[in-house]
Amino acid sequence: MDLEKSLAISASGMQAQTTRLTTIAQNLANQDSTGSTPGAEPYRRKTVTFADKMDRALGVELVSVRAIGKDRAAFPMRYDPANPAADAQGYVKLPNVNALVELADMRAAERSYQANLSVMQTTRGMLTRTIGMLR
Amino acid sequence: MDPTRIALFDLAERRLAWTERRQAVLAQNIANADTPGWRPRDVAPFAARVDQAGAGLARTDPRHLVGTSDTSGLAKPIRPTGHQPDGNAVSLDQELTKVADTDTTQSLVSAIYHTYLGLFRTAIGQGGASG
Repeated sequence: MDLEKSLAISASGMQAQTTRLTTIAQNLANQDSTGSTPGAEPYRRKTVTFADKMDRALGVELVSVRAIGKDRAAFPMRYDPANPAADAQGYVKLPNVNALVELADMRAAERSYQANLSVMQTTRGMLTRTIGMLR
Repeated sequence: MDPTRIALFDLAERRLAWTERRQAVLAQNIANADTPGWRPRDVAPFAARVDQAGAGLARTDPRHLVGTSDTSGLAKPIRPTGHQPDGNAVSLDQELTKVADTDTTQSLVSAIYHTYLGLFRTAIGQGGASG
């Protein structure tokens, strides 16, 4: 039945947005994770990309996380010779996480999640009304 | 009596199937609102199908008015308001408007079906009060 497919599609959308939110949480939590040895690399920001995925059993296209990639942007440097991760010149590589970007991304993920949820609620209402036709 | 041979039941059934299919397509669009390169899809408007099936008003005289199946408000394809840099053209508000539209249609059709069924209930003497 098509309404059950709709529920499955919305559920896959919510799942994908949850993975995205998890990644954002990781990035935000690690925005100060520098290395521990001189000149070591700090935490590198992770990115999420989505792709449509054909579900053979249902015959519909769901959404899935294609890959969790790494942001290749350069690390900002800070002069902090006392830090254990400082290199010979006294500079520490900081994670390339921008809290503002992450928060904006979080808002986008939240909005997408809400949209999927509201489709799911509408579909449920339609299912309830269809069943109500038996009464 | 086969209920599918009654025109209204048949029409309601096809319309319900159409709303279900459309809901699945719209759910896909919204689920893929962040998928690079995804273009939103929609099903063909129902009015087009009804015209094909010849379910319009019968004209037995050339002076009869043609049945107006108003497709102007429905069939107009909404142009995507913009593309994101990744080639995705889904606009969440447009898709949600369509979802609300489908929901209203389904509500209307199931109410009509229910009411019509109530007439039969009255006819066979089980009372139409359950509607």
